[in-house]
Amino acid sequence: MSKHPLQFLEVPRRDPEKDAADVRILHYDEIYGSFDAADAGSQAGRCLDCGNPYCEWKCPVHNYIPDWLKLIEEGDLFQAAELSHQTNSLPEICGRICPQDRLCEGACTLDDANGAVSIGSIEKYITDEALKLGWRPDLSRIVDTGKRVGIVGAGPAGLAAADVLARKGIRSVVFDAHGEIGGLLTYGIPSFKLEKKVVRTRREILQGMGVEFVLNTHIGENKSFLSLLDEFDAVFLGMGTYNYIKGGFPGENLPGVHEALPYLIANNCRELNASLPPFPYVDLADKRVIVLGGGDTGMDCVRTAIRQGASSVSCVYRRDEANMPGSRREVENSKEEGVRFLFNQQPLEIIGRDRVSGVKVIQTRLGSAGTDGRRRPENVVGTEKILPTDAVIVAFGFSASPANWFADFDIGLRSNGLVKVGGSDRLPLQTMNPMIFAGGDMVRGSDLVVTAVFEGREAAASIAQYLGV
Amino acid sequence: MWEPREPVRQGGLIRYVHDGEYHCYNPDVIAALQTAVRSGDYAHYERYASLVNQRPIATLRDLLRANPVGPAVPLDEVEPIENILPRFDSAGMSLGALSPEAHEALAIAMNRLGARSNSGEGGEDPARYNSERVSKIKQVASGRFGVTAEYLVNAEVIQIKIAQGAKPGEGGQLPGHKVTEMIAKLRYAKPGVALISPPPHHDIYSIEDLAQLIFDLKQVNPAALVSVKLVSEPGVGTIAAGVVKAYADLITISGYDGGTGASPLTSVKYAGSPWELGLSEAHQVLRANDLRHKVRLQTDGGLKTGLDVIKAAILGAESYGFGTGPMVALGCKYLRICHLNNCATGVATQNDLLRSDYFIGLPEMVMHYFRFVAEEVRILMAELGVRKLEDIIGRVSMMEQLPGETRRHGRLDLQAIISDCGIDDSQAQFCSDPHNNPFDKGELAETILEEVLPAIEAKRGGEFRFDIRNDNRSIGARLSGEIARRYGNHGMADAPMTIRLFGTAGQSFGAWNVAGVNLELEGDANDYVGKGMAAGRIVIKPPTGSRFETKDAVIIGNTCLYGATGGQLFAAGQAGERFAVRNSGATTVVEGAGDHCCEYMTEGCVVVLGRSGINFGAGMTGGFAYVLDLDRAFVDRYHHGLIDIHRINPESMEAHLHHLRSLIEEHVRHTGSAWGNELLDDFRTYLPKFWVVKPKVADLDSLIESLRAAA
Repeated sequence: MSKHPLQFLEVPRRDPEKDAADVRILHYDEIYGSFDAADAGSQAGRCLDCGNPYCEWKCPVHNYIPDWLKLIEEGDLFQAAELSHQTNSLPEICGRICPQDRLCEGACTLDDANGAVSIGSIEKYITDEALKLGWRPDLSRIVDTGKRVGIVGAGPAGLAAADVLARKGIRSVVFDAHGEIGGLLTYGIPSFKLEKKVVRTRREILQGMGVEFVLNTHIGENKSFLSLLDEFDAVFLGMGTYNYIKGGFPGENLPGVHEALPYLIANNCRELNASLPPFPYVDLADKRVIVLGGGDTGMDCVRTAIRQGASSVSCVYRRDEANMPGSRREVENSKEEGVRFLFNQQPLEIIGRDRVSGVKVIQTRLGSAGTDGRRRPENVVGTEKILPTDAVIVAFGFSASPANWFADFDIGLRSNGLVKVGGSDRLPLQTMNPMIFAGGDMVRGSDLVVTAVFEGREAAASIAQYLGV
Repeated sequence: MWEPREPVRQGGLIRYVHDGEYHCYNPDVIAALQTAVRSGDYAHYERYASLVNQRPIATLRDLLRANPVGPAVPLDEVEPIENILPRFDSAGMSLGALSPEAHEALAIAMNRLGARSNSGEGGEDPARYNSERVSKIKQVASGRFGVTAEYLVNAEVIQIKIAQGAKPGEGGQLPGHKVTEMIAKLRYAKPGVALISPPPHHDIYSIEDLAQLIFDLKQVNPAALVSVKLVSEPGVGTIAAGVVKAYADLITISGYDGGTGASPLTSVKYAGSPWELGLSEAHQVLRANDLRHKVRLQTDGGLKTGLDVIKAAILGAESYGFGTGPMVALGCKYLRICHLNNCATGVATQNDLLRSDYFIGLPEMVMHYFRFVAEEVRILMAELGVRKLEDIIGRVSMMEQLPGETRRHGRLDLQAIISDCGIDDSQAQFCSDPHNNPFDKGELAETILEEVLPAIEAKRGGEFRFDIRNDNRSIGARLSGEIARRYGNHGMADAPMTIRLFGTAGQSFGAWNVAGVNLELEGDANDYVGKGMAAGRIVIKPPTGSRFETKDAVIIGNTCLYGATGGQLFAAGQAGERFAVRNSGATTVVEGAGDHCCEYMTEGCVVVLGRSGINFGAGMTGGFAYVLDLDRAFVDRYHHGLIDIHRINPESMEAHLHHLRSLIEEHVRHTGSAWGNELLDDFRTYLPKFWVVKPKVADLDSLIESLRAAA
C-alpha cells in the first residue's frame, strides 16, 4: 500500500527518457534510458495495491507485481529482484520487450485513471540494478538431486526451463545450433529493443546457477537426439517456430521480396559480428520499402529498415490501427521514426517483371468478428491501387516447423504441426513420449516471449514431478 | 513438510493471487460483469453467469442443486421480469462510503426498475426526496446519522440495521478524510472528523427495545414498512420470531460473503456466517410458529446471479439484496481501498477529481445488471418447470445436496438446511399480510393529531392540553411525522404549537421531534425522551407542588436524545444512563446523568447540573458539554480517550461563562428549577466547579461559534 493514497494522481505516470527519434535512428542501441532509484520508487508508489491485482492476473507468468512495486517503493531492491525471479526467469528481458500495454499495464486499474503504473520499466530496473550491485539468485540452500535434463533450444522457453530446474536442484545442459544463447532474443529481436549484452549477462547468471550451454550444436545434425535420451533423465524441447507464413499471392518470389525473420536475423548477425549468418544480409539503404503485416515482427522490420537508411518505409496492414495485434508502444515508436502506416489495405499481388516494383492493394473495411473474436477485414470492391516500391518485407507470422526426427521418438504432432502435449494421462507439457517435454512457440504457435517463458517454467515443474523431485 | 526447493507461497487469502485461494469476485468475474453491463448484451452476461455459477465450490449453495419439479415450461409462460425486479433491493451502502454520483446512480437505477435502493447509514440530501434519486429504503443504524422525521417520512421501507453480515458485532467508521463538507452536513457532524457507528444500537438492549423502535418508526411514518436487518448466525430463527412479534414487516438475513470491501482485514475472513444457514433457520422457525405469513423474508450477502436468487428462494427468501454486484456494475473493480478515499474508479471516494474524472457509472449499467439477473431467473424457472417465483419459495424438496469436489465437501451434511422440518404444508411459505400492525394502536397519539391537525395544516400554532399515561408511547412522533411530511424538519419553526401534557409519559416521548412542536410535560418520562429529535423543544418538570429536590431525583429514563440532530431538551431532574449518546446537534440541560453520557457525540451542547456517571464522552468527536463537578470526582469518571476538560476562566473564557449562564437561565425559565435558580444566585461560587468538556481535536474558543453555525 502506498504511503500516499493519492500518489497516483499527484505523480503522473512517467517512463524513462527515450532518445529523440532523429538521433536514435542513427544507431541500433536501446532507445529507452533507465529509472534511477528515486524515480522507480515514486513511480512504484503510484500502485494502489488493488484487492484484485489485474496486472498480476493478466501477466502470463503472474508476476507478483504489486508486491515488488511495494518493495521498490521501500527501496528493497534485492528482495524485489528475488521476488521478481520467483515467477519470471527473464524479468529484465520481459521488462524491455513485453507488450505491457496489452498485458499488465493495459489491465492496471490506473490505466483508466491518470496512466497505468510503469510496470515494465520498473521490472527492467529491478533486475538491471540488482545485478549491477552484485545480486545473484540465491541457490545456496538447494541440494543437487543428481537428476539431469537436456534442453534443446536456448530461446526463452529453454532458458526458463533451465532456470526453474536449477532452482529445483536439477542440472541441465542447453543445446543450441547458434553461437549465442537466446534464440530469437539474440538473433530475431533488433538490439534497439533489446541490447545483446543483456542476454549475455543472463547467460552468465544461468551459468552461475549451474546451467551448462553447448552451442553451435544442431540436434539432429551434429548431435543425435537419441544420444540426449541416453545421457539425460528427461529432455525439454523449446525449438520455436521458424516457418514463415506466406501471403499466398502472386509475385511473392520476385527478387526484392524478403521474409521478415531472415531479414532481421541477417541484420542482427551483422551487428553482432556473428559468424554464421545463415541468410544473406539485405541492405535497404536508399530504397523505398513496404512491410506487409502489423504485428511486432512487422514493427521490428520497419524500424530496422529506417536504421538501414531506407528512403521511405511504409507498413501495410489489413485492419485498422485499433485492431493491430502488436504493442501500441512499438507502433508509436515506429511513427516517431518516420514510418508511414497504411491501414485497411489488403495486399493482393506483388507487381514487378524481374524484380519488385510495387504492391497491389485493395481497401478493406471491418466486418463481423471471427472465431478468434477479432473483426475480419472485408475487401471493398473497386478500390484496388498499386503502391510503388523497391522492396517488400513479408511479416505475416510463423507456423510450426517440426523436425523430421520427431516421429522417430513418439513426439506426436497436431494437424497444424505443433507438438501435442498434456492431456488426461500426461503431465502438463509432456509429449506423447513421457520422457520428453516441450513448450513455447513449438507447442502453442508463435507467441510472446513471456508466454514461452511461462511454458518453459511449467514444463520444468512437470519434469520435476516426472522425475519425482 | 518444509521443502527448501519450493519458494514461500505468496498467499492470496485476502488479495487475489493466481493459483492461490479462489475469490468469488476475482478479476475474471469483475471483467466479465463490467463487459456485460456496459454492452447490455445478454450473451456477455451469460459468460459472467457461467463464471460464477460454475465456479469451484466456494459457498454452501454451490453444494446444492435445484432439480426440476416437472417438465420444462416455455419461457413465455414464465412471469415477466417486471414481477421479479420489485423483489430486488440494493444493500445499504451509505453516502459517505460511496460517492454521491455512485449513490445516486444506484438510486435512479433501482427506482426506474421498480425496485428499491437503500440509503445506508448516512442521511440523504433532502433535494433527493420526491425525485427519482430518492432512496426508497432509509436505513436506521446505530450511529443514527441524519435520521430525522423528514428523512423517515420519505421512505417506503425503513430498515433497522442490527448488524452487517460481513462483520457482525462490529460498528463502522467513516474515516475523517472522507467526511467532506457535504457529508458532514448530512450527518450533522464536522468535516474532517472521523465518524463512528457504534457496534450496538444504544436504544436496543432487548427485543422489547427493538419493538419500541419499530413502534417509534411506525408512528412517525405509518405508511412505511419496517424492516430489520439481522445477520445469519445460529439462533437467528429465534431472533427472527421475536422480531416478527415486535411487528417488523420485513426481515433481512445477511450473510458473510458480501460487503467485505470496506471491512477491516480482520473481518474479511472468519467473521459472519453463510446466509444459507440463517435463512433456512429463520424460514423454518417462522413457519413452525405460524409467523411466516406476517413477514417478508429477504437475504443478502454475495448474491451474484439468477441461480443465487433461485437457491435463495427455495431456501425461503422472497426478496433479495445485492450490494457488491451493482457496485461493480457502476465501475467498482474490487480494489479494497474503500477506506483510503482514493478509489480510482470514483465509486467509493469523496475526492472531487476522482468523482468527476474517473467515475464512469451510469444508472443503465445497474439496470442492465438487474434485468440480466431477473432474466436468468426466468430462464432457470422455465427449466425447473415453474411459472412463478412464488411457486418455489421455501420448496426445499427441490434441493439436492451434491457430493462436492473433495472428501471434506462430501462430509458436510446440509440436510438441516434443505429440510421442511415436518411442518404442515398449510403453513405459509411467504408473506401474505400487507402490514404487521402493532397491538398498540397509539390512541392518544391519534387523538392529539386529530385535535392539532387543523393547526398544522393552517400552520398557525396554538396551545393544547392532554393527560398522559405511561402506556402512551412515542407521543409526539405521530405529530412530527405529519409536520415533516408537509413542511420538513424546520418548516413550522415560525408557528410553534405548545402541547402541554400531565402525567407520566411512556417510552420515546418526543421521538423524532421537529420544529414547531414544543412538548411541555408536567410529571416524568420513561426511556428515549427526544430520541432522534431534529428541532423543537421538550420541557419536563415535576408536577407543581412536588417537594423533592429535582437534582436528586430521576425525571427521564435511559438513552434520551439518542441520535438527536437538533432541538432543545430541558429536564428538571436527573437523566438515566446513556444520556445524549450520539447526540449530533441538540442542546440540553439536565440536573444529573447516568453512565456513558455523551458517548459518540458529534455535535450539540450538553449541560449537566449535577453528578454524571462513568465513561462520560467515550468516542465523542464533536460538540461539547458543561459538567458541574461538586464532588470533584469527574476527572475519574470521564473517558480520557478522545476528550479533555477545562475549567472556565472568567477572564479569558467570557464567552463560555455567558453561554453557560444563559443556558441555565433558559432551563430555569422553562422548568422553574429551584436548583437552577440556586446556581444562578451564587454563580460566582459554582462557576469554578464546572468543567468544559470537549474533543481533544476541537478548539476551545470556537466551540460556541461552531454550535451556532451548525444550528
